[in-house]
Amino acid sequence: MHNYLLLLVFIVIGGSIQAQETAMNASEIVAFKEKVIVSAKTTKTIKTDFVQYKHLDFLSDDVKTSGKMVFKAPGLVKWEYTNPYQYSVIFKEDQLLINDGGTKSKVDIGNSKLFKKLNQLIVNSVKGNMFSDADFTVTFIKSPKYNKAVFVPKDKKIAGYIASFELLFNKDDAQVYEVKMIEPSQDFTRIVFSNRTLNSPINDSVFSN
Amino acid sequence: MIRFLAISFLASLLLVSCSLKTTEGLRQVHFNKTVVENPYFSNPEIDYVYKAKIEVYKKNFGGILIIKKTGPESHRVVFTTEFGSKLFDFQFEGDTFTKHFIVKDLDKKFIVNILKDDFKLLVNEKAKVLAVYESENQRIYKAQREDRFNFYFIGEESEILQKIVNTSKTKEIVKINFTTSDGKIADTIAIKHSNIKLTIDLEKFKKE
Repeated sequence: MHNYLLLLVFIVIGGSIQAQETAMNASEIVAFKEKVIVSAKTTKTIKTDFVQYKHLDFLSDDVKTSGKMVFKAPGLVKWEYTNPYQYSVIFKEDQLLINDGGTKSKVDIGNSKLFKKLNQLIVNSVKGNMFSDADFTVTFIKSPKYNKAVFVPKDKKIAGYIASFELLFNKDDAQVYEVKMIEPSQDFTRIVFSNRTLNSPINDSVFSN
Repeated sequence: MIRFLAISFLASLLLVSCSLKTTEGLRQVHFNKTVVENPYFSNPEIDYVYKAKIEVYKKNFGGILIIKKTGPESHRVVFTTEFGSKLFDFQFEGDTFTKHFIVKDLDKKFIVNILKDDFKLLVNEKAKVLAVYESENQRIYKAQREDRFNFYFIGEESEILQKIVNTSKTKEIVKINFTTSDGKIADTIAIKHSNIKLTIDLEKFKKE
């Protein structure tokens, strides 16, 4: 009995230590940024699975969807949801190519500033390289498990949709493993990546509908 | 005789011009049931989550529709993109409608009114019966809704709600078709407008 209690105490304390976050100091920030930028520069392609959790306060469970994401430098991205439905979006030049369970459509984003910004954000957040973005105030946080960058939009239009978003980086290879977008209402979307393959050859034909 | 013919001719004209397609060929019957129910969003324990496909004037949009019963007479209806960003967030509580959030592009009075009316029709649980009709295999309950009517089509034997039609005095405005395997949860829902080119198709998320 005593042992179990002790174990419980360790788990609780252990858990809280793991989750403990502190702000990075100036030199840590410089080192962290550098590591991420180097990693982003050497990343030519990414293939990864992802699980998306949509959290709404009034729901019993988060809405869970999942699929695969493919990235090819400099700016081709494909998000493909496979569960519980088939849906894919390709970000290609100034267009979004959408395939909604067989229904295909195209959206021109050439003249939409907000969309362009969004696209740029998606590409950069996949790569993790977006610290030079003048549109966000960035804070850097470390924990024993991960490094975290928190972006708060300066632009009021964007702030109407996103209160902040967070990128969580692996400590070792400085790759993004989780993206969290928090809405002004505090509801959020969390995307967790897994089974990542870096720099394997990816044919351009992947990015067509 | 001539007078009789004239009257019946006039009467038939009147009947035709006033008759609603919805109840054409149905016979009105006596009824005991005073309240008709829509069971599909009535369980507060369930998160009702649907993949949505919207076609409006030949343009296609997709998203996720989330409905939750949040109180005895209250429903929350949220629509997000596939990426999870909210497009709108409505609450229906009795006759009170609250717009918690809507993206700017959709925040136009006529759009909000259509969405409000459609989803109110979809989640409304109980309606007072005005009249009952019968077809070969369905019982149709007519209920009042403001200056319009809602017709609830219920399977004669299965007792399952198959369709709701919202009408003015003379025209059908919106139809909602349901398919269900257990009568408690709608597997698919199709909302179709008659006067504007708008359809909303919903498919329930499959259990993992």
